Amino acid sequence: MKGKAKELELTVNGKPYKLMVKPKTLLVEVLRDELKLTGTKTGCRTSSCGACTVNIDGRAVRSCSVLALQANGREVITIEGLANGEKLHPIQEAMVEHGAIECGFCTPGMVMSARALLNENPKPTREEVREAIQGNLCADEGYVKYIEAIEIAAEKMRGGQ
Amino acid sequence: MIADFEYFAPKTVKQALSLLSRYKGKAKIIAGGQSMLVIMKQGLLTTEYLIDIKGLAALDYIKYDEGKGLRIGALSIHRAVEKSPVVRKHFGVLSEMERNLATIQTRNWGTIGGNLCHGDPAGDVAPVLIALKAKLKLASATRERTIEVEEFSKDYLEVALGPAEMLTEIQVPTPPPHTGVACDKLMVMKGDMGIVGAAVSITLSPASGVCQDARIALSNCAAIPLRAKEAEKRLVGKVINDTLLAEAGEVASAEVSPVADVHGSAEYKREMTKVFVRRVAAKALERARAG
Amino acid sequence: MTETFGNYSIIGKAIPRVDARAKVTGEAKYAADIELPNMLWGQIKRSPYPHARILNIDTSKAERLPGVKAVTTGKDFGGFKWGWSRETRDEEPFTTTKVRYLYEGVAAVAAIDEETAEEACDLIEVEYEPLPGVFDPFEAMKPGAPLVHEDRPGNMCVEYHWSFGDVERAFAESHLVREDTFQTPRMAKGYLEPPAVVAHWPDPNHLVFQGAKGSPYFPYRILSRLFNLPLSNVRIIQPFIGSDFGGTKNDMVHCDYAAVMLAKKTGRPVKLVYTEFDELTTCLRRHPMWITVKTGVTRDGILKAIYLKAIADGGAYTRMSPLTMFLTGSCMTMPYKLPNFKYDGLNYFSNNPSSAAMRGHGLYHSRFAADVQMDMIAEELGIDPVEMRLRNAIENPAPGKVYETVNEVHVASCGVKECIEKVAEAVNWKGVKSGKRVEGDKAYAIGIAAATYNSGTKLSAHNACAAVIRVCEDGSVNYLTGASDVGQGSDTVTCAIAAEVLGIRLEDIDLKRVDTSFTPVDPGSYGSRVTVLAGQAAINAAQDAKRQLLEVAAQQFGVKAEEVEIKNKQVFVKSNPAKNMSWERLVRTACYETPGKVIIGRGYSTQGISLLGLADFSRGVGDIGTNYSFTAQAVGVEVDTETGMVKCTDDSVIAHDCGFPLNPPAVETQCQGGSYHQGIAAALYEEFKMDKGQTLNPNLVDYKRPRAYEAPMTKVEHVITNDPYGPFGAKEASEGSCCSAPPALVSAIYNATGVWIKNLPTEPEKVFWALKAKKEKGKGKK
Repeated sequence: MKGKAKELELTVNGKPYKLMVKPKTLLVEVLRDELKLTGTKTGCRTSSCGACTVNIDGRAVRSCSVLALQANGREVITIEGLANGEKLHPIQEAMVEHGAIECGFCTPGMVMSARALLNENPKPTREEVREAIQGNLCADEGYVKYIEAIEIAAEKMRGGQ
Repeated sequence: MIADFEYFAPKTVKQALSLLSRYKGKAKIIAGGQSMLVIMKQGLLTTEYLIDIKGLAALDYIKYDEGKGLRIGALSIHRAVEKSPVVRKHFGVLSEMERNLATIQTRNWGTIGGNLCHGDPAGDVAPVLIALKAKLKLASATRERTIEVEEFSKDYLEVALGPAEMLTEIQVPTPPPHTGVACDKLMVMKGDMGIVGAAVSITLSPASGVCQDARIALSNCAAIPLRAKEAEKRLVGKVINDTLLAEAGEVASAEVSPVADVHGSAEYKREMTKVFVRRVAAKALERARAG
Repeated sequence: MTETFGNYSIIGKAIPRVDARAKVTGEAKYAADIELPNMLWGQIKRSPYPHARILNIDTSKAERLPGVKAVTTGKDFGGFKWGWSRETRDEEPFTTTKVRYLYEGVAAVAAIDEETAEEACDLIEVEYEPLPGVFDPFEAMKPGAPLVHEDRPGNMCVEYHWSFGDVERAFAESHLVREDTFQTPRMAKGYLEPPAVVAHWPDPNHLVFQGAKGSPYFPYRILSRLFNLPLSNVRIIQPFIGSDFGGTKNDMVHCDYAAVMLAKKTGRPVKLVYTEFDELTTCLRRHPMWITVKTGVTRDGILKAIYLKAIADGGAYTRMSPLTMFLTGSCMTMPYKLPNFKYDGLNYFSNNPSSAAMRGHGLYHSRFAADVQMDMIAEELGIDPVEMRLRNAIENPAPGKVYETVNEVHVASCGVKECIEKVAEAVNWKGVKSGKRVEGDKAYAIGIAAATYNSGTKLSAHNACAAVIRVCEDGSVNYLTGASDVGQGSDTVTCAIAAEVLGIRLEDIDLKRVDTSFTPVDPGSYGSRVTVLAGQAAINAAQDAKRQLLEVAAQQFGVKAEEVEIKNKQVFVKSNPAKNMSWERLVRTACYETPGKVIIGRGYSTQGISLLGLADFSRGVGDIGTNYSFTAQAVGVEVDTETGMVKCTDDSVIAHDCGFPLNPPAVETQCQGGSYHQGIAAALYEEFKMDKGQTLNPNLVDYKRPRAYEAPMTKVEHVITNDPYGPFGAKEASEGSCCSAPPALVSAIYNATGVWIKNLPTEPEKVFWALKAKKEKGKGKK
């Protein structure tokens, strides 16, 4: 039957969920509307801005460009899953301390792209940092401080080597 | 807004093909959906049935042996092709192409097969595969066939897939020795669709340095990824020098029929064809000479 | 490591932003994140014609669709018209008589979900009579052209004709006179967060509006007038805002009116969120302008006179075009000395989406033209372009003195000379000049330009800007402001100012974001006014609270209040620090020991009200700014001479005179951003391509926005001039860098290749043909 809801089982920020979703539902809609995790943003709806970036099985993906049902059985991490209570993730901390954040709308997406990068590549070159956030549009900051903050976080995460 | 559809997530290739057969003509396949969802969201594509093959692990592989060459499962994500050690080692041009394809987010979910089946003449994958003389394995519930990538594109966003057919594998033969392959595209920003793009393969005779074979495939220059056959003829059988490279560019620019859009006039795209055929052929030549 | 400036406890050093944590964890709620119980979704019905009379609107089918709760059309608004000023009220919430641009809203629907609302919109039947339209100023100005507004003959929206000195005589006396025409394109604001709003009526007489509005007191007044509500019943609660850049999020747009009216009709909260398509096809844009500059100079390159003619496309409604055209002209007398100046500014209506303010408002166009032309003139005269700028630069006035331009702009601090020198040194201009070099098919060079921007903008009409400081009995402090932080960091800076004045730490201040039920008024985030004017309000409010506390301390210590100081949360007698107590102790004493005492400090900015007088738009005189920032910039480019592709190199330096950098890293980030996003990238490739009112590239792939891979790692240097009218000497930061980047870029391209691109953007195809033409010309000469 057209539009018949299907079962979706996935883990979000370490928590398992079982939901019924209409097949055309996008992952970003499940995150924001169902799970009320509004940290992931909708900016463009044309898969170009990256504000909706999350990590699926450790990879940076645009949640607006994924059918929710395709996340079945997968592990999704959103921005809300990074800080540990009061303690910020090193990437978050670096961005705050380095003054990288302006209006903040692109920030969650940036953090998630950076997280995926550093989990896969703990010692990225500057070019690799640029590539990692090439899919994340910002309109304020000029990218300079984001790039520098990610490099600072990378060093911190490597234990300052 | 995306219009409703009935959704299937087959667990095996056989199931997928059986569904395709049952809903022939009324069903669409979704893999990574990186191209498809954009047009679905705009209401430009609707379907009664959607067959989601993203979960078919059986089609997610990259295999290599020197005899058969490279075999890429249609559901390999771009990022896997980009980072695959065997691809980097033996078919480096594929990895280079992937590195400039859209953004990492797209490459982390979108598949190489999905990209090919979308049939966008501005796409990066087809021209490189054409230059590499790759073949595609297409399967339906009743049969399997193999066609040249070159034969796959029919028209703008139209590919030679029967209504009950699915792309399952990309087969890239090991190029003969002394072959160099390169690709490049005119991008304002890294990851952009190319205003124009070129992929060139050149095979040299080791003894004489004469070009034995040349393939020039262009993106965004026509309704399909275009092989510039006249330009190729200018190179084959000769010792390629700068003059010939420039000539190949000129000839290719006369073979294309680019469409003007917000990124460039037809005239500009023609001029850029000259530049990119020349540049990419020069790079391929350099690689061929390096062995 | 960032430098620190001045000798303060908090300001002049890196101040961590007070809202950074909320943003980086995803906790910060923007308008689209707000959800209220029983909420409905709204959608707007838009016109398929750029110019048409509305003959009939039939909403009956839409109303009958299950799930639809209300429909509204322009008629519901009772003839209400609004505009940026009383004189420019030419726009209705939803147009009732005719549509004037493609996709202009004619109705809206509230339904149980987005999909139903969209379906309902499709069911609204509108009968139109299409009309011929005008799509650029040249069509608009033709005699007999169709009129966008019947009561505006010649489609003239705004025109100014100013004259200072004697331009004709000065030209006659000039050694060289040169005239060039430049063009700046239609541009998107480019912010990532689309306009969004949630509105509801707790009861029929109280309205609550939560929307992405950088100037919440605009809707406050407009909605009060619309619904005939007392201001105190209009509650604008401001969520976090994803940037503004002037226009759209400053002004009202259809979704705002739709939300409030549909909420009123249904008695339920209504939410509308624009898509990127809505934003890029209908929201406000930077004016496209055709700028002719005629300049006369002496043999030594000293400016004698400038005649500026600016023709602009204002789009369908007036919005703030009067201000745009004023700013475009007014700034021509800075940053260089100019004794004679004539200006004709002509802004026409057209059947395009309205043009409005955008970062670098007005000055973007004329400073681009003037600074590029300065390089052209320098070349003709054989003078180094940096040298020419230094010769003409306004000198920094001595303390207590003011430089007055011929159009009565008063500049108390001007560091442009130092900015130019700093930038030139940073790129070793003396040694390598533009550093032109060619490597194969790539050409490299650097260009330098300078700019100014008005800061602490003061406009006529309601300019009050206030702050309130409540000192709680345990020593914690609430800071209530009407000012909006749209990402520029004003919340942080004004809190820091308050903490600095009070003598406590930044973390002791709890910011109460704008909620018009509680916070005092402020004009809004535009014209780079917040730090300067709200900053002053913060100082005054903090001083008021401090005074009340110092009186108590004085009593306790047995001295006069002037003898007491508070620093680092210690209260002490200046001449005898042994007499001291903690801040908490003082506050407790004040609140408990004097029965019923509360410490509430209030302050407002006096800058906008008197001092140096407000600007007169029709004559072109007066100060629009409280003070003026100055910037110099070097932009390095790599030009692929075979394709015309221009990329930035990391030879990118800005020297910025913001008076005093209250939060140095924030100034740097702002400059890097302003320069790249609204300056360089805009000049490189941003343009809305139009075809008879239709936007051909309404998405972020075809309308290119700048990205990280291509971003230059711009260095920012600070120039300190300690402006007497700014809080702690501060002036605006970074709008100047939006204006200095485009001319620097175009000069760099010229230095690298010998071609001038006078009409932005410098798209690859444009550069390609220009290079080809130059080559052909060179061949022809042989």
